[in-house]
Amino acid sequence: MGPVRRPFDTFKFILRKVVLAILALVIAFPILYMFSSSLFSARDFGNLALLPSSPRWSNYTRVFALRDFGIQLVNSIGTALLAAAIRTTVIILAAFALTHLNFRGRGLVLSLLVMTLFVPQEAILYQNYRTVATLGLLDSWAGIIATSLFSAAQMLLLMGSFIAVGRDPYDAARMDGATDIRYIRSVLIPLSTPAILTVLVQTLITVFNGYLWPLLVTNRPRTRTIQTGLTMLGFAESGETGAQMAAIVVITLPFLILLAFAKKKIENALIRK
Amino acid sequence: MRTKIRRKNELKAWLFLLPALLLAALFWWYPALTGFVQSFLTVNRNGDVTGFAGLSNFRLLFSDKAFLNSLRVTLTFVLLFVPANTFLTLLAASMTRRKNRFSSIPEYVFFAPVAVSLSAYSLLMRELFRGSASVINRLTGLSGGWITTPAGAMATLVILGIFLDFGLDYILLMSAFRSIDRNVVEAARMDGAGGWRLFFHIELPMIKETVMVTVFLALKDALLISAPIIILTEGGPFRSTETVMFYYYIEAFKSGNRAVQNALSALVLTLAAIAMVIYTNTRRKRPWDR
Repeated sequence: MGPVRRPFDTFKFILRKVVLAILALVIAFPILYMFSSSLFSARDFGNLALLPSSPRWSNYTRVFALRDFGIQLVNSIGTALLAAAIRTTVIILAAFALTHLNFRGRGLVLSLLVMTLFVPQEAILYQNYRTVATLGLLDSWAGIIATSLFSAAQMLLLMGSFIAVGRDPYDAARMDGATDIRYIRSVLIPLSTPAILTVLVQTLITVFNGYLWPLLVTNRPRTRTIQTGLTMLGFAESGETGAQMAAIVVITLPFLILLAFAKKKIENALIRK
Repeated sequence: MRTKIRRKNELKAWLFLLPALLLAALFWWYPALTGFVQSFLTVNRNGDVTGFAGLSNFRLLFSDKAFLNSLRVTLTFVLLFVPANTFLTLLAASMTRRKNRFSSIPEYVFFAPVAVSLSAYSLLMRELFRGSASVINRLTGLSGGWITTPAGAMATLVILGIFLDFGLDYILLMSAFRSIDRNVVEAARMDGAGGWRLFFHIELPMIKETVMVTVFLALKDALLISAPIIILTEGGPFRSTETVMFYYYIEAFKSGNRAVQNALSALVLTLAAIAMVIYTNTRRKRPWDR
């Protein structure tokens, strides 16, 4: 016997859907406005319009005509990919050693790495800036990614996934004479795909979206990333807010699409069945 | 023979850990230690140590009216942002906690804010809330001055903060709801629990750990907020959105005030350490012994 539906239940059901719809609309609104206003003329902004009076596609051509925009986009994509690749490699190696290998000082190393969680980057901004400047890495990709190449939180995520794989496949692989690197490549990584993908996507988004750090370590328009460049394109000052919005769309759209594809995988990594 | 293999294994383990340890040392341990030590020293503009300062750096910090103002601003922001953020993300996650044919649409909408960058959201909000003649006022019928007035600028900053954290908090909470053992929920339902009771007495307590994590993340983000302010308001109007970390950014990078910068660094690091100790002690399970 299924539950009996009373009129009050139907009312509650509708109320729930209405609240859900309103909340979804509020959350989606800035993104919808971003798309819409990227086709606005200066007059549309003045009129507080929600939809363009007539779509001004030239906002987009204005964006791509800026020489620095393309270079900054390349800087952003390049640093994000590089940081994601290096960070994932660094923490896979560390997480493997901490979960699969026996050695003296394991507890100490684990605490030393995990305790970086106690140190917020924001509080050591100036010291790290000095380090990067001393190493001669200002205005370079290396400088932009320097503080993003390790994450204790993500290392713990991978350790959890590696422990779930268990020791049996490792012992079996060792019996067959496989090296550790080979085991990591052909067994551990395929079996931990959801966690590794989460780390990769998270790092890509974090580094691509970084604002304050790239702002500090880059000074020339050509070495900036797109996120810091975005606020300095000069569109807003010259009354071309439409072009400013078009620039925002150009850098956001790829991530909205990527997210649509990666959503399922990220959920799988987080939902424990 | 055995010890030889053992030694080889140990060497290998350290080799695998070397990159992580080097990075942690260079960009976490070394800066934290120097910041802490230098807070008790006098350091000139170029960063050279010139003498011992005792507690005078801290005295300087706490006698600065701008710093005391930034403490008040940060506290206001935390008190407004953390409850609002927790309520809204929990609301969104709880309403989509059951999978059905149409749930993937609101799921995507609530998840989407992770794809929008900090500078993009800050610029968007700067436009939407630009003053009394703004899109938000037109839509809602309100007439506030938003970023042009002290209270309005704080409200806009809180709203911006909610958008910046929404996506990640939502995915964490929603996955936690869906990770709940179905059998427990079914058993409670058999016993006659439904609707609100099922939610508040069974499901919400079962995801308490994750709610704690999101509250902690919100608290951390709120206490350390600075970058969105640089774009949205530059601390104004009348220092009404000048938070502690925005003040740090100005002192360290614009004024070159080493005394205040190091003292603040040490203070924040100490508070962060205390917060982490409390946090790890309140959780029965530490994140790494899963």
